[in-house]
This record gives sequence, structure tokens and C-alpha cells, in this order.
Amino acid sequence: MTFKRSNIEQQIQHIPKEVKWCKKCVVSNQRPRINFDEEGVCSGCRNTEYKNNDVDWLAREKELAELLDQHRRTDGHWDVIVPSSGGKDSGYVAHQLRYKYGMNPLTVTWSPLQYTNIGFQNFEACIDSGLTNILATPNGRFQRKLARLCFEELGDAFHVFVLGQISYPFQMAKRLGINLVFYGENGEAEYAGDPNYADKPYKPSEEWVGQHFKGVTFRELLDYGLKHKDYLSEDDFTESDLIFYEPPSADELTGAGILGKHFYSYYHKWSPQENYYYCAENTGFKPNPERTEGTYSKYSSLDDKMDGFHYYLRYIKFGLGRCLEEAAHEVRDGHITREEGVALMQRYEGEFPQKYFEDFLKYLDISEEHFWDVVNSWRAPHLWEKINGEWLFKYPIK
Amino acid sequence: MNKPYKIAVIDYRISNMYSIQNALNMLGFECEVTSDYSIILAADGAILPGVGSFPEAMKHIKALGLDKTIRDFIATDKPFMGICLGFQLLFDSSDEIENTAGLSILSGKVIEFPKKIKKMRVPHVGWNTISKNNGASTEIVSPFFDSDEGEYFYFVHSCYVVPENKEIIHSTTEYGGIEFCSSIVNKNIFACQFHPEKSGEKGMKVLSEMFNKKMEK
Amino acid sequence: MSLAMRIISRLDIKGPNLVKGINLEGLRVLGKPESFAKFYYEQGADELFYQDVVASLYGRNSLHDIISKTAKEIFIPLTVGGGIRCIEDISNILKAGADKVSINTAAIGNPDLISSASKFFGASTIVISIEAIKQPDGRYMAFTDNGRNATGKEVVSWAKEIEQLGAGEIQLTCVDQEGSGKGFDLGLIKDVTSAVTLPIVAHGGAGNMQHVLDLAEDVPVSGVAISSLLHYDYILHNRHLDGYEDEGNVEFLKSKRALSNIDSVPISQLKSFLIENNIPCRKYE
Repeated sequence: MTFKRSNIEQQIQHIPKEVKWCKKCVVSNQRPRINFDEEGVCSGCRNTEYKNNDVDWLAREKELAELLDQHRRTDGHWDVIVPSSGGKDSGYVAHQLRYKYGMNPLTVTWSPLQYTNIGFQNFEACIDSGLTNILATPNGRFQRKLARLCFEELGDAFHVFVLGQISYPFQMAKRLGINLVFYGENGEAEYAGDPNYADKPYKPSEEWVGQHFKGVTFRELLDYGLKHKDYLSEDDFTESDLIFYEPPSADELTGAGILGKHFYSYYHKWSPQENYYYCAENTGFKPNPERTEGTYSKYSSLDDKMDGFHYYLRYIKFGLGRCLEEAAHEVRDGHITREEGVALMQRYEGEFPQKYFEDFLKYLDISEEHFWDVVNSWRAPHLWEKINGEWLFKYPIK
Repeated sequence: MNKPYKIAVIDYRISNMYSIQNALNMLGFECEVTSDYSIILAADGAILPGVGSFPEAMKHIKALGLDKTIRDFIATDKPFMGICLGFQLLFDSSDEIENTAGLSILSGKVIEFPKKIKKMRVPHVGWNTISKNNGASTEIVSPFFDSDEGEYFYFVHSCYVVPENKEIIHSTTEYGGIEFCSSIVNKNIFACQFHPEKSGEKGMKVLSEMFNKKMEK
Repeated sequence: MSLAMRIISRLDIKGPNLVKGINLEGLRVLGKPESFAKFYYEQGADELFYQDVVASLYGRNSLHDIISKTAKEIFIPLTVGGGIRCIEDISNILKAGADKVSINTAAIGNPDLISSASKFFGASTIVISIEAIKQPDGRYMAFTDNGRNATGKEVVSWAKEIEQLGAGEIQLTCVDQEGSGKGFDLGLIKDVTSAVTLPIVAHGGAGNMQHVLDLAEDVPVSGVAISSLLHYDYILHNRHLDGYEDEGNVEFLKSKRALSNIDSVPISQLKSFLIENNIPCRKYE
């Protein structure tokens, strides 16, 4: 093994060495920022109980109407930004804001690393259903090197996409003078991460701008790459290529009246499956013509060929693959039983995303051998063991 | 106190009898699925049902000694009903799969729908109407011909019966240009190609009339 | 008079609930299957079709209770599919009260099952279900597991193989149209009906009565299996009469709203419409 990774990825250093499964859903304690209480139930499940029992959704809807009344513009200008891929979640939010609440949304899309056919089809269909959109695609040659850097040093090539996805909408909000930015779900609350802000309508700019995803800022990451990677040099970019990878400062945002990330899931009980139905009926959304690798569903996160590797590496790093993520949410929602979730995971969890493997290697400009070297460097030793030359995950779900 | 009307459903171990049982129970009959000679002979009425292949069926019937049972029951003059395969088995022979001898209780043969020649879809499956045979020697109108537009019954078969004596033909049905015999009446025997137990309320009426009123001849 | 167009009500069942997806995806709960079944029988449905949607996942069909219940009260043919793997499974489903079984995954995995099952139970008892999905190159391929797993089998040639092996009927699901209310994929259905002499039941896409009429007029199908068109009609008019298990995705039911892109049509109305347009149907009594 010729590849040795650095330790700039912080998440992986804080996960418990003993694997425990939630008693109610199918997530494990390996998920960064998750909490298990004394009954062995995870924070995701508790958040769902809260959603089901303790929230007055009618009151929340009223709050939404009031918020939107305050922001709605009648002077021919957009009044809300919806970061949108054209998928079922963002499509739902954008369509509702426009057609149910009479807002003037501008959907903004941070391009996937590599569009899939179905992803682009859904993206166009969403626009076709009656929404305005701006699609941003960063400097491709530079981004591919960043992706390789992220793959090697953060164990997630997709991270480079995420950087843009969280920053770009706010750069646009500031530049276009739109001070309301509406996301779909509060990802941390919905997917058993940090439960803070689960009961808040938005995450304040001061809070999230400073957050270092995976424990390292974009600049730190870039510096590391410039210092240690022979494929990345200062000739590969100019400062203007970096604009969308970082959000405006907290001061700039609050100065522009942009409070933070608003969550639609605060105002409407969030159900990814119902979002699917909504978009199938209203935005021309079509599911994948075949099952998405690594899971059982056909309607989640379809637009990026590189997506599968984000989940696959997560499985290597934390034992948390794509199937687990979806099954856990559906179990919490009561759409499937835990028994079913377990059966699904036994069938699909950790499935290698073969379909776009060649594309992935080409995108990062690496060999298959290097791919596996990097992957193996990310295998958490307490989760994996090698038996008869094969890597086995030590904790298949029960 | 009326003794409950008991119907023997003749079991020749080829297909499931539950549909018929359920229907008869719903109608308030007492019924028993059996191949036992004495139970069958003692019953007030008998049904020979069936879905499956003719050769297989005859094998089982012979092995269980049911050919004698059926003949003897019919000789008692009590109502006897043959359904689908049970209808076909009463005749001389069938060329389904291989030419096989039937029970020869009635004269005639069973032949396959000529699907290759006529480009028909086989099996004939679904709801089709029955038309009255005006040359029948026994006339039974109700509940078969109550409405002018024709009553629908459920059919599912790949072969059809050609009786020798046309006077026993109670009704015919058209499929693929062929007007085939869909039911017969001969003394105490009523037999039909369609499935009354699967033909909704109309079919239930047929079963009910058959055994309740011992349909007028 | 001649062979009527069969209007088959198809119920996708998960545990205690009737569910309805789009493109066979999603498990939105619509209520209790027994209530729907009874309603459809009374309305004049010609057949019922029950699909156990999680059977493949668990490797078993779990519908025995509802099959028995249905068989005791409803006297039209019942076909049951989902997780049927072998002769014994077929036998058990028939014993529970079904008249026909529908098989997909097991038939593709082991085509000989079709011939042995047909010989054993009678060809007319064996229905093979094909889930067809159009590929980017225009070909239609057969899938299993609610349109999830590719099989490499091209639909028309698989249909021909099914006929050779001796099945009695094919139910053809146009997955791309299913649950969308956009109408049937007439081109696909025509290709399959031309390729074989087996009776074909079309499934997937009915959004209004005209779609069903177009299908009946254009293509020699033996029947049509309908879900959304009928289910959403039932709950529109009967929600107050029906309790539902508070399990599964019940958000839609709780919201009490109707669909925008699929008409709500009772069977009786559909049949009258077809008869008016010279399609023979068993009339609703």
C-alpha cells in the first residue's frame, strides 16, 4: 500500500470503538454527532417522536405563512432562494413556495460533479413545471483536482460538491439581494446528527458559516493540497475560481439581512416519500429506471454519477452506507418496520456502485489500484477485518 | 327441523376445492370435500369440480375408484353437477395433451381450441355470455336467461365439449368464431364449462337453484 | 355477445395495508385491502389481483389471511402474487383460496418452474407477471422486485419463452406508466400481444376512462388491471367508513386530499363508458 492519508479529517477520530445499533431504527452509534439515550434509542428516533407528538403543525404552518408574508415581494423581484437539484426534496419546496404560497422563488443549482441522465431529466422537468433556475458549474479542471484531494485526504470526493452546495446559494443571495434562503430538511435533525436547531426554523448564519465540515476549512484543505499533492499547484486556479466554495462571512450575511438557513421541515412534517409522490404529480419527477446501487429505493439522490462513492466511502469509514440512511429514516417515519429495514440492509447495504466506477476513476484521474489503496486507508480498523484476503465488515446489522 | 342439505364435493386430488366449498357454505349448504363412496352416495347432491388436465384427472379418478362412485350417484337420480373439467370428464374422450378416455357417462368428445389455425388466444379466460339452445329437450330458463342481453359467466379452459346428442345442450357460447357447448342438462345432471362459484352473484344463483329447487325439468 | 373485457382490480398489499406507489415506487397507505376488495366486488369487478409487495424482500408471501377472508365472501376469481418461489408456495396460496398465482422473480430465475407448475396445477392457474421498463436505448427490459432488479431479459422474447413453457396468462406492467395516470404504453402492449397467443392483461397507467377505452380499442388485451383510478375513487367517497392501521406511510390519508392527475372513477361508471363505446363488458348489476 503506497498511499498514506493525513489526519486532517476530524470526524473519524471521535467515533466510539464499540458499535451499537439503535433499538428502534437501524442507525448505529458510528454516525458522527449522533446521541443514544439510556434506552438505546438514537437522537433521530427521538426527533421523529418529537415531530409526531410534540409539534403543532398547524401553528407551524401559520408561522410559515407569516414569515413568507414578510418576505413576499410584489415589485417584480425574487424574494426567496431555494437551493435545488430538481430532485424530490428541493422540487417539493420550490414548487410549494411558488404555487401554494405565491412567493417568487429563484431556484439555484450547484451542479453535480457529473450529471446522470435521469438527474438532468428531472432537473429540466422541474424547471419545466414552472420554476426559474440558475445553474452554476465551477471550473471543471480545477474541481476534479479538488475532488481527488477530498477523496484522498477526507475520504470523500463528494465533499467538494458539498462545499459548493452550502456556499453557492448564499453567495447568490448576497449578490442578488435576496435575503431568504430556504432549504428542505434540517439534515442534522432528520438524519440523526446534531439535534440542536431541530426545533428552530433556521440555523443562524453565525453558527453555520464557522462550521468546519469534517473538521477542516476549505482554505486549510487547499493549502494542504498545494503543499503535498503533485497534481495540484497554484497554476490550477485563480482566486475567482474559489468564490463559490466559501460562503460570505457571517457579518456580510447578517448585514444583508440573511438570517441563515431556513428549513422547510420546520414548518411541514418532512417525509421524503411523500415528497416523491408530490414531485411525481407536480414537477414531472421520475424515479431511476433501475434500483439505485447501495440501496433499495429509486427516488433518492439520483443526479450525480459520483454520489454512490460518497455513500460507499461512508460505509468504509463508519459502516454507514446508503441503504442504512434511507431505511433508518423510513423506519423512524413508520413507513417500514425495523424488521424490514434490517432485511433491506442485509440485502443492499454496502453494495459497490459498479455502474459509474469507470467514470469515477476518470473524473479523479486515478487508477483502480490507487482507488483501492485510498479506500483501504480509510477502513476504520475497529470496523473491518481481512479474512482470506477479503475485507469483511465486522458488524452486520441484526 | 329441516335436515341441512348436504352436498358432496368429489375430491379427486387434482385441484383445490375451496372455492366451491366457500360458495356452498355462503349459500347455507352443508358440504364435504371427499372421495369416500358411502359419504358421497348418502349426500343429497354432488358436484364434480375441477381445474387441471384431463389425463391427470382420469388417472386420479380411476386410482380412487371414483368412476364407479360417480356412476352410482348419478343412478340415484339425485342432483349432480359437473363444473369445468368435471363437465368434460363426463364424456367419452379428450385430446388435451394426449387422447384419453373419459367416464363416458354422456356421449361426445372434448377437443382443443384450434389456436394455431384460428389464431385464438388460449386458454379462453374471462367472462362470456351464454345463449339458449332452442333445440334442447329440457328447458331451464332461470337463472340463466333472465335478461335479454345475455348473462355473463366466468370461463377458463383450453378445450371444449362436443356432445353427440345435441338435445342435451342447454347453452352455447361464442369464442373465436366457434359456438361451443357451455352447459348441458340430462335428467339429473347439470354440467357447465363455466365456473358458477366464480361468477359473482349470478353464479351463486345457479348453485343455489341447482340444489335448492332441484331445477325444474 | 362475446368475451368481455376484464376489469381487474389490482391491490398492492403490505402487511395489513393497501398501498399505492408511482412507477411501483413508494408505499403510501390507502386503507384496508378487505374493504376495497368488497367494494370492488359489489361494484362489478371481474377479478381481483393481490400483490404482496414486500414478499420478495422477505422471501415469503404473507397474504394467507386476507386470501382466505376474500375467498369466503367474494365469488370472482382471485389471483395472488408476490414471493411465490416453488410448487409448495403455489399450493399453499391456492389452498388459502386463490384461483391463480402470479409469478415473476422465481420464473425468471428458474423458467422450468413455469412448465412444472403448469403441468401440476393447470396452465390457466399460472400467470406470469412481467415488469417492463424502457431503457435509454429504447428497448424494454424485464425487471423484478417492483421494478428494481435488472434481469437482462428483453420483454418480448421473454413473453415468447413464457408461452413456450406453458403458462396460462401474462400480466404486463408498464412500470414507467404505472401510478402516473398518463395512460398505457400502447406500443409496448401491442408488441407483446402480437408476439404470443396467450391472454394478456395490461397493467399500469390508467388515469381516466378514455385511457382504458383507447387500450381496449387498439390492442387485443384480455383484460386490464387497474389500481390508482379505482383506489383514489374509493377513498374519496369512503374515507369516513374505513379505519386504517396507523402503520406505514399514512400521511396522504391523513391529509384527506385528492389527486390532481388521476380521475376518481368507480368500476360501474368505467364499464358503462366502455359498453357505450361498444366494448363488451360484464354489466354492473
